[in-house]
Amino acid sequence: MAIKDERYQMIERNVMRHPEQITADAIAMWNRLAVELVAIIGRSGFDTLYARNIHLVRARHPWLSDGNDPDFEQLKTSLEDQETAAAGAAAVDLLTTFIDTLIQLIGEPLTTALLKSAWSQDIADTAAKEINNEQ
Amino acid sequence: MSNKVSIQRLASGVPGLDELLGGGIPEFSFNLLAGTPGSGKTTMAHQIMFSLAAPERRALFFTVLGEPPLKMLRYQQQFPFFDVSKINHSIKFVNLAADLLDGNFDRVLARIADEVRDYQPSLVFVDSFRSVAQSAQSMDGGAASLQHFVQQLGMQMTSWLATTFLIGEYLAPEAESSPVFTVADGIIWMSQQVHRDALVRKIQVVKMRGQAQGLGIHTFRISDSGVDIFPRAMLTATASTVSIDGGQRLSTGVLELDKMMGGGVPAGYSLLVVGPSGSGKSVLATQFLAEGVRNGEVGVIAAFEKSPNQLLSHQLNTLIESGKLGVINTRTLDLSIDEILHDLIVMIRHMGAKRVVIDSLSGFELALAPSFRDDFRESLYRMIAVLTAMGVTVLMTAELEDRYEMLRFSSYGNAFLADAIVMQRYVELEGQLKRVISVVKVRASDHSKDIRFFDITSDGISIGHPSTQYVGILTGRPVPSPAVSGI
Repeated sequence: MAIKDERYQMIERNVMRHPEQITADAIAMWNRLAVELVAIIGRSGFDTLYARNIHLVRARHPWLSDGNDPDFEQLKTSLEDQETAAAGAAAVDLLTTFIDTLIQLIGEPLTTALLKSAWSQDIADTAAKEINNEQ
Repeated sequence: MSNKVSIQRLASGVPGLDELLGGGIPEFSFNLLAGTPGSGKTTMAHQIMFSLAAPERRALFFTVLGEPPLKMLRYQQQFPFFDVSKINHSIKFVNLAADLLDGNFDRVLARIADEVRDYQPSLVFVDSFRSVAQSAQSMDGGAASLQHFVQQLGMQMTSWLATTFLIGEYLAPEAESSPVFTVADGIIWMSQQVHRDALVRKIQVVKMRGQAQGLGIHTFRISDSGVDIFPRAMLTATASTVSIDGGQRLSTGVLELDKMMGGGVPAGYSLLVVGPSGSGKSVLATQFLAEGVRNGEVGVIAAFEKSPNQLLSHQLNTLIESGKLGVINTRTLDLSIDEILHDLIVMIRHMGAKRVVIDSLSGFELALAPSFRDDFRESLYRMIAVLTAMGVTVLMTAELEDRYEMLRFSSYGNAFLADAIVMQRYVELEGQLKRVISVVKVRASDHSKDIRFFDITSDGISIGHPSTQYVGILTGRPVPSPAVSGI
């Protein structure tokens, strides 16, 4: 199976782990990712990447709200308004699209290293393991 | 006995840089890496950082403004020294753009101090410092607070025992940078210049406290593997290690020519072979190298006349395959003499070579970047001095336009650089173009004054009888001498 599919499944598993708290889990993942990336690429660097990401993913999930969202408040509201399945699909789409963009820019190994660092214990362990096994 | 503090020097990991710095980067020093845009500052900083960083010697890399960090990471990881596994283990990137934009220097300082306290790095990089300086100008009391900032930073980093590099973009070592220049322990200046169509990169260690840096301006190259510096003027470093037996002579591989030279080429001499195109200079150079190999003397050749894949004669290729002859890669048309000299020295040392051939000076000059051609004579002089001081014997060829109304030994006035000169010429005789050879000069040695005919056969140069029965050889149209014709 391609690494990309593995990564997609890993993210899906983590987002959907507790269907009753998809929004909370997704926001937590975004927050940790933001802390990690903002330190390295700066707030504005992260914000522009995120804005483009929302713009792309809105084509598939038009109910996501556009615009600046530094604390992910808008994302939280948008997700909470949806049914579990729709919210989960959009949350997975957002994260995978963002990570694909990151990989295009700075490559797979560096992205993986940053994800490991951001989502260390519960999430990235599995992700890293899966990705590393594939490599 | 001395109780002086001993300053540890860190190996920079950049080929040639340690030599320039006078032994490496002094530990806990506060350095400025300055230069024009695109001159390779960030690349060199990364190269140093990835080479030195380890779990017990962590590095913090602050990005300020300028190049977006994403771009930096994207491009820098193309270099082999970029080791992803070190990131977040022994290397941490921190972006300070927000702190500088909406804060003042104190806030940036505080942020740097916090990060340094938390991470306890041994190496700190701030890229780029220019953006800090520009912010200073837009603020009240800009220059003064910049000076304060730099002094504070320097003090803090030293107190945290961090070896620090400020990376700054400057068009020239100008006044605005002077506060930094004063505080810095070391200043490395990098630049790139375009002359005609060739780009040349130069590096200079302007200042290095506490140790003798390599003076002058040196060339460097950014290749696929990163920054590679070619320090110039290595004469002093090598001169003392060689002693040459004054009487030792090296055979040219042409017995008759050896006799004409008074027993061969004196060891450690530079021999210039001049002649028009096709007169047999490269043949003689090849015989010189082959003779060396036959006597167990390894050779090195820098061939500028031909492209590498059609390189040289069968005889030379055989020598190269035997491992007794090294070939200098003459690559492109933007070389510096220092680069060639550096490659030559590395190969001479590596192979223990005794004989060096440069074929030819004309090709060499063409292979140089145009901006170096102005200094060709001077650089050549230095190059020959360095090589002969290493104890090697150098044979250079030079193409000479065959003009019979005048006698010149090289088109550059380089002849005085050579300790010995052998001249080859064409003459027209009895409806044929004949070759003649003559020894013009062998410094401090007897030599034949004859002008001898020679042929090039499958065995190489075959020297015939002297041309004493003719006069006017050097006019190109000799006639039988009266004494002979009168018989």
